[in-house]
Amino acid sequence: MIDPITGLGIVALMGALATIAGAAEDLESDVGSQSNPNSQVQLAAQMDFPHRIFNKAISGEPPAYGLWCATGATVASVLLAQNMSVIFAIAIGSLAGAILLGLFSVTAHMGRTASQKRFKQPIYMDMVIGHVPSIIAHGFIAVFCIISFSYIMDHVLSHPFPLPLLAFLWGITAGAIGSSTGDVHYGAEREFQNQPFGCGLNAAYSGNIVRKAESGLRNGIDNVWACAKFGGPVTGLALGFTVFFDNWRSTVFSGVNAVIAGLIIVLILILANRLVEVQGRKAYGPFKDEDGGAETA
Amino acid sequence: MSAVEGGPASGGLPPNKVIAIGVIGGLAGIYLTMLNQTFNTTIFSVMGGIGSIFAVVWGADAVRRVCSYGLGTGVPSIGMVALGMGIVAAIFGLILPETGILQIPAILGPVISFIVAALIGLVIGLLSNKILNMNIPIMEKSMIEIAGAGCLVMMGLSASIAGSFAFNDAILPSVVSTGYIALVFIGGAMTILHPFNANLGPDESQYRTLYVAVEKAAIIMVIAGFASLTAIDAVSAALTMLVGLLIFLVYFNKFMKSVHREAYKVVGTGLLPSAEELE
Repeated sequence: MIDPITGLGIVALMGALATIAGAAEDLESDVGSQSNPNSQVQLAAQMDFPHRIFNKAISGEPPAYGLWCATGATVASVLLAQNMSVIFAIAIGSLAGAILLGLFSVTAHMGRTASQKRFKQPIYMDMVIGHVPSIIAHGFIAVFCIISFSYIMDHVLSHPFPLPLLAFLWGITAGAIGSSTGDVHYGAEREFQNQPFGCGLNAAYSGNIVRKAESGLRNGIDNVWACAKFGGPVTGLALGFTVFFDNWRSTVFSGVNAVIAGLIIVLILILANRLVEVQGRKAYGPFKDEDGGAETA
Repeated sequence: MSAVEGGPASGGLPPNKVIAIGVIGGLAGIYLTMLNQTFNTTIFSVMGGIGSIFAVVWGADAVRRVCSYGLGTGVPSIGMVALGMGIVAAIFGLILPETGILQIPAILGPVISFIVAALIGLVIGLLSNKILNMNIPIMEKSMIEIAGAGCLVMMGLSASIAGSFAFNDAILPSVVSTGYIALVFIGGAMTILHPFNANLGPDESQYRTLYVAVEKAAIIMVIAGFASLTAIDAVSAALTMLVGLLIFLVYFNKFMKSVHREAYKVVGTGLLPSAEELE
């Protein structure tokens, strides 16, 4: 049993790793438009809006991150079993996971674009060459941090699950948080930057995403530049808090007390969410268009 | 996605042929790992991985057929369902002869798993159509196929890591306790769901989708081969990785060629198509 102060330090370290992982995970999904915002990228070409935005329809983020992290952790466990140093084993494992992510990105983008032949969406090879390394790089940071805190959980906090299983579960969690938190910033705001703020997505605007940048044509790298200012960090914070609070309660309390502490944390979060929502509604109210009056759903 | 909604998938290999390839290839691969025990070696573990590729092709084709009815965002979910059903059935079938509750020879394990998977698939298919009213004409048949394929992929990859499909002696210590089962589960699910999801669109073609299935199954086989380093000897593990890598290279190349052939155009770089071009 480790002493409480060291325990809290370890939990804080895990929270920090998870924050970096969450931010990198969300930004990686923004480079390639994975998950929810992808449906508008897919729709754009079909609505006669051909574009130069990467269409990375691998699958939802949770199963995808489950696979990258499970792969990375499997490779790392094999290397650890051969007595390799921990940092090297996790780094090589994460590299394997990130390269797998790159391979899936290539088939997803090229396959989907080829299947849009009748809408005359060309495949730009410079996009594949330019975006995939950025996807692999962001993916590597995310997978490395997730496997690292899973390793700490497994070997320092003595979690009963083996490393690949823990990394798999945390990968799914990271994907789910990235998909629910960060996607809003990219999908609702960046993709539809040309619409008035808060107007909602009218069906007539479906697929009419912003395709031109400050200079030239917009691509995934421009999107990640914008999302790195808010969506990515917020996702990181969400995953960081999840990992920190979850481990904090089981480090400080034990047995039934830990469960009660968990329930109290969830209750406080629900109340806080409700307060923010009510305050937001009071401050901004329903959307009114510029001519005044007409409310949209 | 509108253009792909509401109709049966068409073209290329007929469904029954793919089913035959998947069932026979998958089961044969799993059973051929028994040569390991016969010849007292682990070199035949590679057969489990090859069997899983056949099963993935079948699973991906079944996903393609059922998802052509406009499932859209449901494609990833259906892959997860496949391995969810498959993994329960696989473990049940492999463990049943070893518990001694029923007098069944252990060699029948994979077949029992396969039948149980089909039954679970049937129940899920009936629930989706009759209770959730999804009303997809081929739902029951597809769920049986997807569960069966998921179960074969799970057994094939496990056998290639452990060198045998005996549950208590091989799969439990080298796949379940080590946690590699996470890779087998999510790797199997992603290889079944990704090919159709990656090629979704009105101009999707069966060959291109199945090329992705083979290529992705091969890359998971490479990782399974790497994981098997802790269970079987290095030469056998290297063989699994090498064969997987070769299959991956061949089919990735085929996929790239078919993309270059079938896309509207493949350009190095360029501006967006002009308004006249889009007319």
